[in-house]
Amino acid sequence: MLVVALLWAALTFVGEVLAVRLTPFRPAAAEEGDLIDSAFRSLTILSVPVLAFVLAVLAYSVLRFRVPGDPTQDGPAIRTHRPTVTTWLLVTTGLTVAVIIFPGTTGLLELHDRARHVDMVVQVQAQRYAWKTTYPEYGFSTWELVLPVGRRVRVEVTSTDVIHSFWVPAFRMKVDAVPGLVTTTVVTPSKAGSFQDDPDFRIQCTELCGVGHSVMRAPVRVVELSEFEAWVAQQSRSQ
Amino acid sequence: MAFAPLLRGIGFGAVGFLLGSGLGAIVRVTMGLDPWSAEALVVVGYIFGLVGWLLGVGVWGTWAREWFGLAARRGEAQGWRRYLRFSTDHKVIGVQYLVTFLVVMLLGGVLAVLMRAELMAPGKTIMTLNTYNNAMSLHGILMVAVAVAAIIGGLGNFLVPLLIGAEDVAFPRLNALSFWVIPPVAVLLLLTPLMGGFDSGWTAYPPLSVINAQGQTLYLLAFITFGFSSILGGLNFIATVIAMRAPGMTWSRLPIFVWSIFAASLISLTATQFVAFALLSVLLDRVAGTSFYDATQGGNALLYEHLFWFYSHPAVYIMILPAFGVALEVLAHFSRKPLFAYKWVVGAFMAVVGLSFLVWAHHLFTSGMSDFLHLPFMVTTELISIPTGIVFLSSLGTIWLGRLWLTTPMLFALGFLFNFLIGGITGIFLADVPTDLHLQDTYFVVAHFHYTIVGGEVFALLAGVYYWFPKLTGRMYSERLGKLHFWWVLLAYNVTFIPMFWAGLHGMNRRVADYSPELGGINLFISIAAFVLAASFLLMLVNLARAWVRGPAAGANPWKARTLEWQTSSPPPAENFPAEPQVVGAPYDYGVPGSRHAVVAAKGASEGEEKRDGDAAPRNQED
Amino acid sequence: MAVQPEALARHRLSRMALNRMGLWLFLLSETFFFAALISSRYYLQGLARPETLNQALGLGITMVLLLSSLSAYRAETCIAHGDRKGFQQNLLATIALGLLFVVGVAMEWREAFVHFPPNTGFGSIFFTMTGIHAFHVLSGLLVLTLVYMLGRRGHFSAGSSWGVEGAVKYWHFVDVAWVFIYPTLYLVT
Ligand code: HEA
Ligand code: HEA
Ligand code: CUA
Ligand SMILES: [Cu+2]
Repeated sequence: MLVVALLWAALTFVGEVLAVRLTPFRPAAAEEGDLIDSAFRSLTILSVPVLAFVLAVLAYSVLRFRVPGDPTQDGPAIRTHRPTVTTWLLVTTGLTVAVIIFPGTTGLLELHDRARHVDMVVQVQAQRYAWKTTYPEYGFSTWELVLPVGRRVRVEVTSTDVIHSFWVPAFRMKVDAVPGLVTTTVVTPSKAGSFQDDPDFRIQCTELCGVGHSVMRAPVRVVELSEFEAWVAQQSRSQ
Repeated sequence: MAFAPLLRGIGFGAVGFLLGSGLGAIVRVTMGLDPWSAEALVVVGYIFGLVGWLLGVGVWGTWAREWFGLAARRGEAQGWRRYLRFSTDHKVIGVQYLVTFLVVMLLGGVLAVLMRAELMAPGKTIMTLNTYNNAMSLHGILMVAVAVAAIIGGLGNFLVPLLIGAEDVAFPRLNALSFWVIPPVAVLLLLTPLMGGFDSGWTAYPPLSVINAQGQTLYLLAFITFGFSSILGGLNFIATVIAMRAPGMTWSRLPIFVWSIFAASLISLTATQFVAFALLSVLLDRVAGTSFYDATQGGNALLYEHLFWFYSHPAVYIMILPAFGVALEVLAHFSRKPLFAYKWVVGAFMAVVGLSFLVWAHHLFTSGMSDFLHLPFMVTTELISIPTGIVFLSSLGTIWLGRLWLTTPMLFALGFLFNFLIGGITGIFLADVPTDLHLQDTYFVVAHFHYTIVGGEVFALLAGVYYWFPKLTGRMYSERLGKLHFWWVLLAYNVTFIPMFWAGLHGMNRRVADYSPELGGINLFISIAAFVLAASFLLMLVNLARAWVRGPAAGANPWKARTLEWQTSSPPPAENFPAEPQVVGAPYDYGVPGSRHAVVAAKGASEGEEKRDGDAAPRNQED
Repeated sequence: MAVQPEALARHRLSRMALNRMGLWLFLLSETFFFAALISSRYYLQGLARPETLNQALGLGITMVLLLSSLSAYRAETCIAHGDRKGFQQNLLATIALGLLFVVGVAMEWREAFVHFPPNTGFGSIFFTMTGIHAFHVLSGLLVLTLVYMLGRRGHFSAGSSWGVEGAVKYWHFVDVAWVFIYPTLYLVT
């Protein structure tokens, strides 16, 4: 028992260090993305002890209780053990509730809250195999998505043919583009960047839509507000 | 004339197809339409062809004649010929399923290897975008069929009647029918490339699946037919478990594998109807001019997603419940201990069945469905961890303090625990709405479901195949090669699929033939590992094929196990047991002095309990 | 250990009970198919219902189908009491009423093609629902006809009438399904 406990503790420690240190992400470029990354991290931190526990018991049992050759004896006839079962149920239920509340429900509510007030609206129309962006406030359309840093944007997505899905890896947010429906997602870009420098700044179609699905991408550029206004002015002139 | 039934089936099927498509053309003419429409004619032709195939292959001779007041023809063939005909022996049907799905899995595996070859480097490697999409979709649906039917259809058919001490299933002819609709499914799917293939993934979301190449129609027909088989199979198992148990086989003495098949069958029987309708509605949109999914006519693509996942989520538990059953069965016998917390496990199975109907929309978090649905579906999905956790409790409780006999099946069962744990826990990341917004439709999902299906279910399937191989064939495979196979698969498998989690997090989305160049390194790594993984299956094939032909005789009970299937000869005689078994105790009471599970009274008195004897071979009832 | 077989609980059912259970399981399964159909109607169309539905015809065929369930029931009781003649007459009546229902649906379809063809929202649902139900009616008719032919050749008797019972139960199920479909298509607003 003690050995297992020690093994568990050690595995948990190593796992947690890895989970915190080796952040599996490139940093997100939107506030919502940070939220999602931190949700991911808290799930990892919660699941490490579970993984470590099962692993510890598994490894210990295999090494300690193995019998070389055919066993000539049976093990002890333990059919069940009430305290163990009760503890297990309580712990897993507790863990599940914890996961549901945090980061699940809190993250969800936070994301919904953010959707209430937005600073600007962008319409994105998917069609095989391209993304068209319209800025209704300024009345022009382009084939790239340009957003200013620090403004909360509602992206209204729709499709003219089949289902596509709007995903910007740098923002972490995703929503399907469904013909006949307008779906929305809210992002608040927090860092300037562009597709040229970082491939995560792209709209990537993530719903299989036909032969061009894998190459159905569009560049994304996040710029400072002033630069964005200059870009808007220039676009409006040229259209 | 070993091939006579097959040839007759093919002949009748061809006649049926011609009749049906001719009829279809006539109907089209009378309706004032152009008589030539490949898809519509294929649909009608297929329905008639399927009926013809079934009648020809044996339904007419052994069954349908009775409906017309004629005497049915009886008589079973012997030896390998049994496997090529409409046999009603559940053991023959079990082997038919296993071999068929093993072949299908190899085909799916070959496609996976081709896909990984294309994904070795960004840009075009060996196939066009369209070919990739088709290969990927075919891989998906073939493998899903394997996952849904290999354990239930194969091991379930062979073992459930044996484990409950019955002579056969409740409806043997229906059972044969359930199997014989499978070959047309496989043929249809393999013929899809002739009609342009289908590039919709295994999920076939409309409107894409309404407007793409005509191969989609074959996919729809195949999947509907497959669903039909699974419904009838489920029905049969439920009736069998309820009504065919040997005297004394109370519900609390049922081996856990039987419980798992029973639970999975409850899902097949009911939920499958939803996918049947989902697929039918797409088919109607394609060939009958309805507009379920045409947004300009009031259609709504989300309807399909709801209908589809109302089945396809429960379907993942059709896959995994029997896998739990196999794994727990193997763990108990090779730990030489009672199954820990048996009643809790049974309760957990039923809880999983119940919950599985309430979680489907976790596949729709990014679909644009109403926001208020997110929270309830997140909660129900995460609740499933609790009953699933009980399976882990039982597994760990069973091996704890046991006398572990690390044979090949035992290794696979332990490997199952390790892999499925990773698969299950990453499921939590997907169930959580905030993280799923990023992860949906990325390789994180691909990794999750290969961990649950391949690392989980297929490992359990392999555990079961190795464990019961001596019973199925009467011969023993090579333990050395078996163990080598295990370590090879375990390592290659994890090395292949762990990096997919990372790739998904870093912007690699699913179902793509091409990807951002910066993902080239990791994909090359995955591909090479996948090739090593694929090669390991050749080892298994060699081992099992060689053993089947000339392995050493296994004896009735090589594992010294207590359950009923081991109390009869290997392979069992047609009537399974020399006399009706009397069940007198729990199945896993290892270590309880004087206990026994069952008594099979017979010439030579075989006993329900065979432990601690130096000579492992109990009396054989070989005729 | 001496075991008294009588002391052990027996679980095996008779062939008849087994068949009955199989049929019930099958009907349970079918229920899910109709549930999928009916929920799709509400999902796609809400409570919308075109004014152009022929209410009189709808009500008419519903009555016909309900009557056919009655005669099917009587056919079953007749054979259970060994009344072969009553059995055959009632079975024939059932088949005739079933055919009348199919004719009614065909008339309904002719009108529907004009008012809400299958490529419209309501049309998709209407044709699919009535079509699938009619398919069930037709297969029920096929089974009833087989039973009738077998009955004429002297099959079935008071003690052995599973074929009749099964066919009639299935027929009742098809009727009950219609009892749910009819209001879903014709009555909700
Ligand atoms: C055998 C198949 C199988 C199984 C068993 C599971 C099990 C689970 N799956 Fe998985 N899943 C698939 C096969 C399977 N899945 C497939 C094929 C897809 C993709 C389909 C497609 O799009 O093509 C998919 C996709 C999928 C999605 C959608 C992803 C997306 O597209 O966005 C989600 C989201 O919720 C999900 C969640 C889960 C959860 C929560 C479980 C749970 O049942 C897991 C429960 C198990 C554990 C948690 C581990 C053991 C428990 C303990 C040790 C107790 C303690 C633990 C805790 C308290 C956390 N799965
Ligand atoms: C049972 C289920 C199952 C199994 C076993 C596998 C096995 C494998 N799968 Fe598959 N996979 C799915 C189910 C499964 N998969 C599903 C449902 C999808 C989703 C499809 C979709 O999105 O619609 C998918 C998708 C999928 C993708 C994502 C495609 C994409 O999104 O673009 C990838 C990519 O790497 C992949 C890889 C593999 C690999 C490398 C294996 C390996 O494990 C394969 C190992 C090899 C073998 C098992 C056979 C070995 C055969 C030989 C060595 C040849 C011998 C042959 C003869 C003698 C005839 N699979
Ligand atoms: Cu658009 Cu995929
Ligand atoms: Cu699911």
